[in-house]
Amino acid sequence: MTATLQRRQQTASPPRRRLPISNFAAKTTMALTGLIFVGFVFVHMYGNLHIYRGQEEFDHYAHWLRELLMPLVPYEGVLWILRAVLVTSLVLHVGGGLLLWTRARRARGPFRRSGLTRGEAWMARSMLGTGIVILLFVVFHVLDLTLGAQPAATDTFEAGSAYANLVASFQRPLVSGFYILTMLVLTVHVAHGTWTAANDLGATGRRLRQVAAWVAGLVAIAVCVGNVTIPLVVLLGVIQ
Amino acid sequence: MTPSTTGSAQALLEELRTVGSDLPGLDTQVPASQIWADRRLHYRLVSPLNRRKFTVIVVGTGLAGAGAAAALGELGYNVESFTFHDAPRRAHSVAAQGGINAARARTVDNDSVARFVKDTVKGGDFRGREADAWRLAEESVRVIDHMNAIGAPFAREYGGQLATRSFGGVQVSRTYYTRGQTGQQLQVAAAQALLRQVSTGQVNLHTRTEMLDLIVADGRAQGIVVRDLVTGKISAVTGDAVVLATGGYGNVYYRSTLAKNSNVTAAFRAHRRGALFANPCFIQFHPTALPVSSEWQSKTTLMSESLRNDGRIWVPVQPGDDRAPNDIPEDERDYYLERRYPAFGNLTPRDVASRAARTEIDAGRGVGPLKNSVYLDFRDAIERLGKKVIAERYGNLFEMYSDATGEDPYKEPMRIAPGAHFAMGGLWSDYDMMTSVPGLFVGGEAGWGYHGANRLGANSLLSACVDGWFTLPYSVPNYLAPLLGKRKLSVDDDAVRAAVAEAEAGVQALINIGGTQGPERFHRRLGDLLYAKCGVTRSAEGLVEGLEGIRALREEFWTDLRVQGRPDGFNQELERAGRVADYLDMAELMCLDALDRDESCGAHFRDEHQTEGGEAQRDDAHWLFASAWERTASDDAAAPGPRYVRHQEHLEFPSVPPETRDYR
Amino acid sequence: MKLTLKVWRQESGAEDGHFEEYPLEGVGPEFSLLEALDKLNDDLVARGEDPVAFDSDCREGICGACGVTVDGRPHGPQEKTPSCRQHLRSFEDGATVQLEPFRSGAFPVVKDLAVDRSALDRVIEAGGFVSTSVGTAPDADAIPVTHESAEWALDLAACIGCGACVAACPNGSAQLFAGSKTMHLATLPSSQKERSRRAKGITRAAEEEFGPCSVYGECAEVCPAGIPITAIAGLNREKLRQVLRNKDD
Repeated sequence: MTATLQRRQQTASPPRRRLPISNFAAKTTMALTGLIFVGFVFVHMYGNLHIYRGQEEFDHYAHWLRELLMPLVPYEGVLWILRAVLVTSLVLHVGGGLLLWTRARRARGPFRRSGLTRGEAWMARSMLGTGIVILLFVVFHVLDLTLGAQPAATDTFEAGSAYANLVASFQRPLVSGFYILTMLVLTVHVAHGTWTAANDLGATGRRLRQVAAWVAGLVAIAVCVGNVTIPLVVLLGVIQ
Repeated sequence: MTPSTTGSAQALLEELRTVGSDLPGLDTQVPASQIWADRRLHYRLVSPLNRRKFTVIVVGTGLAGAGAAAALGELGYNVESFTFHDAPRRAHSVAAQGGINAARARTVDNDSVARFVKDTVKGGDFRGREADAWRLAEESVRVIDHMNAIGAPFAREYGGQLATRSFGGVQVSRTYYTRGQTGQQLQVAAAQALLRQVSTGQVNLHTRTEMLDLIVADGRAQGIVVRDLVTGKISAVTGDAVVLATGGYGNVYYRSTLAKNSNVTAAFRAHRRGALFANPCFIQFHPTALPVSSEWQSKTTLMSESLRNDGRIWVPVQPGDDRAPNDIPEDERDYYLERRYPAFGNLTPRDVASRAARTEIDAGRGVGPLKNSVYLDFRDAIERLGKKVIAERYGNLFEMYSDATGEDPYKEPMRIAPGAHFAMGGLWSDYDMMTSVPGLFVGGEAGWGYHGANRLGANSLLSACVDGWFTLPYSVPNYLAPLLGKRKLSVDDDAVRAAVAEAEAGVQALINIGGTQGPERFHRRLGDLLYAKCGVTRSAEGLVEGLEGIRALREEFWTDLRVQGRPDGFNQELERAGRVADYLDMAELMCLDALDRDESCGAHFRDEHQTEGGEAQRDDAHWLFASAWERTASDDAAAPGPRYVRHQEHLEFPSVPPETRDYR
Repeated sequence: MKLTLKVWRQESGAEDGHFEEYPLEGVGPEFSLLEALDKLNDDLVARGEDPVAFDSDCREGICGACGVTVDGRPHGPQEKTPSCRQHLRSFEDGATVQLEPFRSGAFPVVKDLAVDRSALDRVIEAGGFVSTSVGTAPDADAIPVTHESAEWALDLAACIGCGACVAACPNGSAQLFAGSKTMHLATLPSSQKERSRRAKGITRAAEEEFGPCSVYGECAEVCPAGIPITAIAGLNREKLRQVLRNKDD
């Protein structure tokens, strides 16, 4: 017989400690903020679809967002509230994710689980990776279409001309490619994230779980399909 | 009736055993049905504030052990609880399938406490203690209430009430159940209750710790010697009383329905220290166990008795018939249970069904590659009810069967054979569950008393629960009360040091043999020998051969055992070696008891004592007593070895007059 | 048939471990995985080598003592089946089968394939019980329990405590184990009075001992007792209920 692999197995479980932030708190926070993002990307996708109604309608939609609930709130008030909520959620979501990821690695110990073949497990394992891709995309996306910062944005960027900015941006195949890739990644992240949120928030009823599973899948696919058409039609020259 | 034990058998018997004194029976004028209430009334008490001054050692965490430990903890005693498992929940109570009996008698099927007693006593073929059966029946009601309250999800009717089913040997429906995993649910609930006491600090739980010896000082059990199975360290724990709830010894047969690690060591070492061993030859063989089909098969897995409701048991008429079962035509099959017991048919009690199977197999009509099993055929039931109904009723069992054998029971008959199952015998105890060593109590299958010579289905979970939750918590304080003010034995006491040194020497002795064969090999051979010579049926001649074989094997063991590995760490070979050493002695005691008990009763069937119809023939005139064995040593230097003294507890049956069992 | 067993050998928790390969002959498809190990150990002892340590007891799949990782999968290739009921017919003749202990930071190796799973009991100790002392229980028929609740409670209570869920989880989480116990007791009327206390205690202990759940679902795939994945949501539900309710029950 032959000795093959030498590897240290830790001898004792990690010292038990009262966790400063409980996993439950972190998971619930991630679930709630995640659901905010799911709502956001869904509404965002719905807004994006205005592009098929032409430049005027699309720009009008962008403008309308800024005037929402005026004069109750000042110009761009709602938008800034939303931005504040989204940024806070982002910090909490990413923070919670990293915290749980490190705890999971420590709890598992030195021997990683291998041989995961099921789709669900693969999706769960991809959450950190897909999350990073989405985060990078968000940074790029804001620089490109919100702030118009070079080199992310095109040199024709003009604040207020949402339609033109978008079309110009997507006419760069690399940007469209990155966008499409992100949407595919987002599908996975949203689908598993929504399902996980349902579990984290305690969905135990049989019917509720079925609904949650369907909603998770359908929302993820709807967001993906709705969004992915846009760079495609731009690249195909349908929208110019 | 004439004694059948003559010639060499009689000589061997004379050499090995002497007849000792009669044990005091239950000396009471109270009617049988009121003994328990009367005893409780006269038990001494320990006041709540004094309870923490006592420490009780409980060995085993099955239903009896976990129950006793938790209950004593709840009362306020300090409890030291021990299990060789890594978790209390794994004790073998977990594997019981069918259910737990209780004389709640809620329906109008005419059940009652008295009927429960009658069934139990009769089922045990009048070799148990009737008063114990009364206690069992009375406390059974509270057992269900309690186990339900602490988390066992009993099956319920659609109206929300507890559901029951019926079991072999009775004509009422008094078995409470949780699907086919009643033992598991009760065991897990009991282990949880134990862990609750652990969390309050009332119980100190020692897992992966095996008892090696009993410490007897000043004539009282005052502690135990244990080995930490992970570090190998041998140490002593002292207390004011010791409870052994360490299960039965069926694994002496090597292949049995028991878990691989179930063993007799704790009970047997207490026996060595003076605790009498009652009716060691009373072993129940379960008729629907999986047959041995290969040398390396590790056990005879139990298939639920319920299969006999729809399956028909048969063998080919022609001995040695090698045809596939489905090729054997109807008129060449012998449905021997239906033929011999038309009234009960395939649902005769376990001992009867096992014996009938053994008769067929021994006559050469056994089936399967090793010709050691009988068919359990569902063909007719599938034809009558359809495959779907059968799958609903027995689907999981069929799956388990094809899992284990690779055969499809929907297409060809199952093969079953009797497998060693339950030990009715155990450490002798008085009505208060105290053994002949003061301060040493026993509970559950490790004890004796309730089940006589044959246990009814679903009575074992009950007896363990009653002992643990509703008997020992009353009777142990009765023993402790007068000890108030006495100091707990110091671990530095000479008796303690001596016992620890002895246990250490015992371990070293096993290692020092330095032979060539591991303990498993001896265990396998012992099992084969016992199945052949002290199995479902016994004869004087066979038992003599058995005793000679055991003694030869024991000698070989002590000269050629190899214990691989170190004594000072986790060493399962060493654990096995110690247990096999005790099995070898236990086997001798069993054969001796079987040879000595010159009658047939319940599961103990002596070929010499049968009716013309081949049924067990009891001899109440000579054997209406429980044998309680004392172990001594030979005083003849030329013939060394253990010697035995048989004491008798005469049995009385004021409520259920002895009668002959008849299932035809 | 013939197999090569590649077995994790580790003298004790304090020492390093490694794989060793052992050819195994004279076994057949009817052998259970653990019987193959029995045979290997017999061979090893006959050769004067230390046998492989592994936990096992009832060999019927109910006690939960056994558990080895087979080719990276807890318990073995056949799904929802404990190690003792895995059979060699799942493997090709001549195959190399890798056997390791259950892997998790919470399960330190005792020796070879045996691990220390006491962390599971510490979770139960933190609240997985009913605080009803013996003798004080009301009549079990006094509070009717619907057939459905009893069956559902039993589905959840079927857990055998083997720890495969933890070993299967890439996060080393015991959510399925803790959830099954919490939900089992939350479903029955007799154990309602400390429902929130229990959720709090079990969640805290499970978080201290084990990793967080991210719904891989691997636990339910290997669970020999068939505990439904719903149990992981059950623990969260009970904990959330406790936080919102802020009472004992």
